[in-house]
Amino acid sequence: MKFSYEWLRELVPGLDVPPAELTARITMKTAECEGVESFAPWLERVCAARVIEVTPIEGSHNVVARIDAGPEFGERQVVCGAPNCRTGLVTAYVPAGLSLGSRQIRRALVAGHDSDGMLASGAELGINRDAEGVLELPQDTAPGTAVAAPDWVIEVDNKSLTHRPDLWGHHGMAREVAAFSGLPLKDPVDLTLVPAAGHEWTVEIEDFAAAPRYSALVFENVTVGPSPAWMQARLEALDLNPISNIVDVTNLVMAELAQPMHAFDLDKLHGKKIIVRHAKEGESFAALNGESYTLAPRHIVIADESGAIALGGVIGGAGSAISAGTTRIVLESANFDAATIRKTSSELKLRTDASMRFEKAQDPVNTTRALARAVELFQDVSPGIRLVGGLIDAWKPAPAPAPIELPLDWLDQKLGLAVPAERVRAILESLEFRVEEARPGVFAVHVPSWRATKDITIKDDLLEEVGRVIGYAEVPLEAPLQPVRRPWVNRERLYHHEVREMTAAQGFTEVSNYSFVSEEMARRFGFAPDDHLRVANPISIEQGLMRLSLLPGMHRCVTENAKRFDEFRLFEIGSEIHKRAGALPDEIPHFMAALYRKQGDGSAALLELKRLADCLLPGAAARPAEARGYEHPARSAEVVWRGETLGRLYELHPALLEAGRAAVLDLDLRKAFEMGPEPKRYTPLRRFPGSSFDLSVVAGLRVLAGDLIASIRAATGECCDAVEYLYSYRGQPLAEDRQSLSFRITVSAADHTFSNEELTAIRNGVMDALRAQGFDLRA
Amino acid sequence: MSIADTLTELETRAAALLDDAEDAEALETARVEFLGRKGALAGISKEMGRLTPEERAQVGRLLNGVKQNLEARYETRKAGFERAALDARLAGEWLDLTLPAPGPRPGRLHPLTQIMRELEDLFTSLGFAVVDGPEVETEWYNFDALNIPPAHPARDAQDTFWMEDGHLLRTHTSPVQVRAMERFGAPLRIIAPGRVFRNEELDASHEHTFYQLEGMMVDRHVSVGHMLYFMKSLLAAIFGREVTVRLRPGFFPFVEPGFELDIQCLLCGGKGCPVCKQSGWVELLPCGLVHPNVLRAGGLDPEEWNGFAFGLGLTRLVMMRYGIDDIRHLAAGDLRFLRQF
Ligand SMILES: [Zn+2]
Repeated sequence: MKFSYEWLRELVPGLDVPPAELTARITMKTAECEGVESFAPWLERVCAARVIEVTPIEGSHNVVARIDAGPEFGERQVVCGAPNCRTGLVTAYVPAGLSLGSRQIRRALVAGHDSDGMLASGAELGINRDAEGVLELPQDTAPGTAVAAPDWVIEVDNKSLTHRPDLWGHHGMAREVAAFSGLPLKDPVDLTLVPAAGHEWTVEIEDFAAAPRYSALVFENVTVGPSPAWMQARLEALDLNPISNIVDVTNLVMAELAQPMHAFDLDKLHGKKIIVRHAKEGESFAALNGESYTLAPRHIVIADESGAIALGGVIGGAGSAISAGTTRIVLESANFDAATIRKTSSELKLRTDASMRFEKAQDPVNTTRALARAVELFQDVSPGIRLVGGLIDAWKPAPAPAPIELPLDWLDQKLGLAVPAERVRAILESLEFRVEEARPGVFAVHVPSWRATKDITIKDDLLEEVGRVIGYAEVPLEAPLQPVRRPWVNRERLYHHEVREMTAAQGFTEVSNYSFVSEEMARRFGFAPDDHLRVANPISIEQGLMRLSLLPGMHRCVTENAKRFDEFRLFEIGSEIHKRAGALPDEIPHFMAALYRKQGDGSAALLELKRLADCLLPGAAARPAEARGYEHPARSAEVVWRGETLGRLYELHPALLEAGRAAVLDLDLRKAFEMGPEPKRYTPLRRFPGSSFDLSVVAGLRVLAGDLIASIRAATGECCDAVEYLYSYRGQPLAEDRQSLSFRITVSAADHTFSNEELTAIRNGVMDALRAQGFDLRA
Repeated sequence: MSIADTLTELETRAAALLDDAEDAEALETARVEFLGRKGALAGISKEMGRLTPEERAQVGRLLNGVKQNLEARYETRKAGFERAALDARLAGEWLDLTLPAPGPRPGRLHPLTQIMRELEDLFTSLGFAVVDGPEVETEWYNFDALNIPPAHPARDAQDTFWMEDGHLLRTHTSPVQVRAMERFGAPLRIIAPGRVFRNEELDASHEHTFYQLEGMMVDRHVSVGHMLYFMKSLLAAIFGREVTVRLRPGFFPFVEPGFELDIQCLLCGGKGCPVCKQSGWVELLPCGLVHPNVLRAGGLDPEEWNGFAFGLGLTRLVMMRYGIDDIRHLAAGDLRFLRQF
């Protein structure tokens, strides 16, 4: 929302702080300003001039104009190319030496003639968007007088105004400025200009909840033409496109009082009744902006006998728009329910200056104030205009809300500052709250109508009013008193941090992928898109689904980095999101590590990840498992820890990579956390040294070392301390389908050292057991 | 020649051979010749049987003396040869220590993880619990419970990803305020760092996924003054130096009053520079006193309890700290980026 500095000064007589300072004060007291910019500073020197004589230049569309530019500049000669440059025209003269923004105006020879300055269009001056010809000023404008005034435009962040319907107009902001500057506020409205007597036209509101109020006036003897330059300049400064005197007045009043208005051409309406109703299902509506909309009953329309003439609170209709020939108008000033307007506007993707204001919950009391202001302005811009009859109005005023009780000790305590009662009263009254003393130490505060729609309902809201006007710099810093109590410890989060640290220490770098995957990504890894929780309104297909696995994201990281690095290690901790009917999805924290190598057969990487699993889950085993689609068909295992399956260890299917191999470890961290660390238990150290012997077992090629170790351990019995894998061997003299696996077995007893005889007996026992399982043993 | 003379002569000869041996092999030959089991000294000792006991004692002493002398010479020379052999072997083991060392180095934690850990430690030391909340939230926790009813304009400001099942991706970490009040009651001190989502187009400064840290303190008599004190201490800890803060009005439905907290620009000290857009102040975080409706939603009586809450943009903090110019690096997984932290 843009605010004119000069306009605020008009509404706060005596305000003399410079624009930048005012901007800073608004930021500190009321709402965040994004900046302040000078508007058309050249207008200081641009003045009205009358064209005395026009001489055509042969072979050129330009003419030589002699002008009377008033007492300061006197008679001058300029070369002008505008089609409307004619004798007797009163227009805008830009003297040489002045800059219009980046454009420097110089005295120069144009088409062979001396041109001392220039005549300018409204667009060149920046006061409207008309570049067709030079500005046309009223005939009675005295040469030498200013065309319009320069200004400063303060831009306030709209987000900081969402709760303040009143600040969508200059008068509301001026009230703030007056309050924090200790100056009086001028009310531009004279309500006596709206006679109470009605009119032959009537208004009917079908649903007062959706449209609380509809007020209107009828005017005749209207002349439609451009509005005065000052008005155009003001609108242009605020980015409100000047259109015509009638429309400009409605926009100016909106910019001043935050009340959107609309003017209908009365002669294009049917009947004598305005109906505010819900749209019919499928009702079509042609709007002023040239678009056509299909409406539904949740939208509110303004209709006459024959159909919709405006989309309530959003935009007027094309059929009843003001045109050059308009002579009679109906001027609407209505109030609409914020939620209804917000829904309509976002559904139809149609945000207008009106809808933006109504969705902040405007004050229904304001409609007649806006009409009164418009009556006054119409008289200036459309001489001869006549008000016909008086106010047409439909309204069921809601009872005024009960005053809010404000205990002053509560206020002091919450603010952390003792504020004298009189200061509290003065601040609230400067913002036009009505303050009574309910009982000693407690104020009863009546909220003005423009703050009562939504903004201020409880004492905490009043605290803010007082606090911000005083300024928080006055509040002394005070250490909070808090009980000495150890906070709850989030052990699961700490566990994740531990896992992160250990993994990083093993050489892995952490990545942070999105929670989204695309359908295509999901399919590529064999996940069914329908198993995923779907995003209803993704911006792009990349965000269509919530991830069910960290793999697609990790795969992207692997393929991207593989373009630059021959070997790397990555990991991520993030949630898998599993949808559940009728409940929030189950978000399961997972750990995924990936090790990529461009060279080699990939086996070392898998073993390194197995070691990582063993580091994270001491004693974890890999149990060969049937490979999933994205896994190497012969290199896939479940990770088993203390009897529970916690994840998978596999090589990524080589077809998923352009080159190289990637091993992946995927662990369910929630399960790992819930199982907790293995309980620690002390076992007395064995006093007698252990003894060891080696065995080589001849077995088939796919016999698992893990299974053999388990068998040896079982056969050795209680005295077994360790079974260590030494090496494997294939080749002569073994058959081609045979391998030999060598192990070192360490045994000990609690009460003595084994004798050679005992050792031989143990060894033979193990060998017999293995032979019984069908294995051969090598010497 | 008496045995004594023979011994003396033998000692002289053997000493010369041992002392002059050219290598370990010659030394060993000399040792065998004189000191070996069948060597010259052993031969003499065999002959001692023929002597009288007095002579035997005398020659015995002499013999021992010679033997010790020769053995000592032998040991000295032997040690010398061994040392020389070791030196020669080690000299051949010259190693170029400027060679790069193989094997993986520790990886890096993501910069967001690093800053989260740092802040978690800081807040834990201040008595705060670190609480998690889900990424997929209910409309109730994300909006209604935070005093943002349906059709509230503040919902527009937070472009929301909606799920097909009617849930949404949390647009801020604030839902954890209500979840924490429900879970822990009051008094309460929590932070909730985590991932949040806004339905925005991606560019150098806008992400649909970023990180926030929510903070909340609830007690019986919490004031704006307490909040200011706390924020100032907190920011001093985060920035590692004293900071000047100011509060100005800011609108957030879940706090009343609501503030924007600015810190005096750390670069120019408030004089004005490009970073603070010449204003001397940098907008840092929104905060405020918890709105009574939010306390109620969390099951607390606002006449009994109140508190303050704030939200810290972790992604922004990381970018400020390291001068990262493109937010998209954070989720790109590019090792060239990640290895810098
Ligand atoms: Zn600065």
